[in-house]
Amino acid sequence: MRRKQILAMAWASMKQRRLRTSLTTLGVVIGITAVIALASLGEGFRVTVKQRMEQGFELNVLTVIPGSLFAGLSRQRFTDENVGNISKISGVEAATQVMQMGNVTLHKGDEEVRAFVATAVNFTEFVQVFPDRFEFASVNGSPDQWKNNTIVIGYKVNHPNETETSFATAGDNITMTFIKSLYVRETQNFTVAGTLQKKGTPGLTNFDYWVFIPLDTAREIYGPPYESDLIFVKVLNPNDSDAISNDIEALFPPYQISILAPMTFIRQVDYILNLVQLFLTSVASISLLVAGIGIMNITTVSVMERTREIGIMKAIGAKNTTILTMFLAETALIGLFGGLIGVPTGYGLSYLLSYIVSRFTMGQQQDTVFQTPETQHGAITPIFSPAWAVGAMLFGIIICVLFGLYPARKAAKLDPVKALRYE
Amino acid sequence: MPVILEARDVEKTYSLGKVLVSALRGITLEVEQGEFVAIFGPSGSGKSTLLHVLGGLDRPDKGNVYIDGISLSTLNDAKLAEVRLHKIGFVFQFFNLLPRLTALRNVELPLTLADMSEKESIQKAAEMLELVGLKDRMNHRPTELSGGEQQRVAIARALINDPKIVLADEPTGNLDTTTGWEIVRLMKRLNQEKGQTFVVVTHDQGVAETAHRMIYLKDGVIQGMKKSSGSVLS
Repeated sequence: MRRKQILAMAWASMKQRRLRTSLTTLGVVIGITAVIALASLGEGFRVTVKQRMEQGFELNVLTVIPGSLFAGLSRQRFTDENVGNISKISGVEAATQVMQMGNVTLHKGDEEVRAFVATAVNFTEFVQVFPDRFEFASVNGSPDQWKNNTIVIGYKVNHPNETETSFATAGDNITMTFIKSLYVRETQNFTVAGTLQKKGTPGLTNFDYWVFIPLDTAREIYGPPYESDLIFVKVLNPNDSDAISNDIEALFPPYQISILAPMTFIRQVDYILNLVQLFLTSVASISLLVAGIGIMNITTVSVMERTREIGIMKAIGAKNTTILTMFLAETALIGLFGGLIGVPTGYGLSYLLSYIVSRFTMGQQQDTVFQTPETQHGAITPIFSPAWAVGAMLFGIIICVLFGLYPARKAAKLDPVKALRYE
Repeated sequence: MPVILEARDVEKTYSLGKVLVSALRGITLEVEQGEFVAIFGPSGSGKSTLLHVLGGLDRPDKGNVYIDGISLSTLNDAKLAEVRLHKIGFVFQFFNLLPRLTALRNVELPLTLADMSEKESIQKAAEMLELVGLKDRMNHRPTELSGGEQQRVAIARALINDPKIVLADEPTGNLDTTTGWEIVRLMKRLNQEKGQTFVVVTHDQGVAETAHRMIYLKDGVIQGMKKSSGSVLS
């Protein structure tokens, strides 16, 4: 039978049962709307998270820390030699070591502020690794001039109450109280070399809460063996992270160090979010199955009502396959219309949901080390993916055709004589 | 004239619940090209069953039917449908038009099934409707047509694929006498002018007697045959 005629007849039959057709189509619309809404929202969520992580983590900075997930904490510390060897690995732009001093208290006159993380660094190397993070609110000289008893203060340390007034500015003399060993607290005088601007990074290192002193000064205070707690490695190309990580691991005994490579991490998170998105969409597609059962139901009714018509068609020479195609054309059309309406509706719904979610989370701002205000404005923009749209439409049509198959086959196999006698 | 339809020892049994009903008990008959044959008998004699078996709508339990030399028992459902499409035209007591389609589209339907192009099929269907005298009613749906008009549409539909034979099951049974005779005259005219072969099932002796040959059926058995002039009283 001519395809156009089959479609025309299917359309005429749907038009005749307008209410029933609309309701069934509505079921499909709801299913596809749910799939598209969750898929676009999921895609938006995934991309937003990925972007945030890419902005938050310096993708080109690897962090080498002692210990391993597999072997627990190790007593591995890092030496100048380690840093030198890592610098020589091809693809590495620079490497710098950091010695951590725990938390410290800074005093200026009567004023006192606390820093959660006091670190000793080689300023020249360190600024080379993190050029973007070292923007100064006030500065005295340049990093390569900062030698003994100079200190750089992070924004949050310098502005403990988020006010405009700062604890210190470049050139100020302050004292720092720190823990030297188990029972010994010590106080030293420092000159402020620079104060940092607010940077607030959602990564693991947020320099707003850090203070920095020269490595040489720390070594004088603590004495040999002059070892550090972690090494930052700046790579030329973030995509080489895995290979460079392997090269760094090869420099140490097995399971003594771990390397935090943001690229590897982001890939994993992206993979997980993909799975989450797929899971959400699968849940949504259950509603399409329900719609499919609706299709099966009305097609069965329709076959019963049109038994005589089927008999007539068969008597004048329609093959079983023609009858089958006629009914499947109707269910496929319902699937198609469901998709055409459901895809834009779903996309609209995803925007609505995203709006509601963003309103909801904005009221719940917290300010912690890991959640700075910059990370808080978590509006997720849904992303329309043509692949999902086409996929959802095809899926809708396939569901409709599959569920229509059983009643349509029953119609096709009707005995023409009995069908003609059907009242 | 060559034999166009042949039935040999056709038997058909129905089961109504647990009761077996022998509808046809060894029917053998031949119809020649250009003939107008009436199968006549009381209700329950097996006339309609015979017509369905002859037209490939139903399969006999025993025996065989040949249309234009094709043995129907050897055909699968799809091939049988093709025989119905190309070699046979059906006319029913209750017209059996598709209610959603116009007269023109109803007549065109077999051509559609035969994959003829729309332009050609519409033209052919229009010509056929003109032949049965419904030129002005082409775009009406069945519900907008009288019984006689609907039956004309059904006849046009039966003829549209130039079938070897038209099988009519009580074509006047649902019409008043005057209209019924109009339909009979139409069929006779098509038989005379186009040489169209007809097999008409009827329980109306008057209608049956207009045929070239009248086959009297009772209790699933052919009781007798009678040749006549085949003229229609006007």
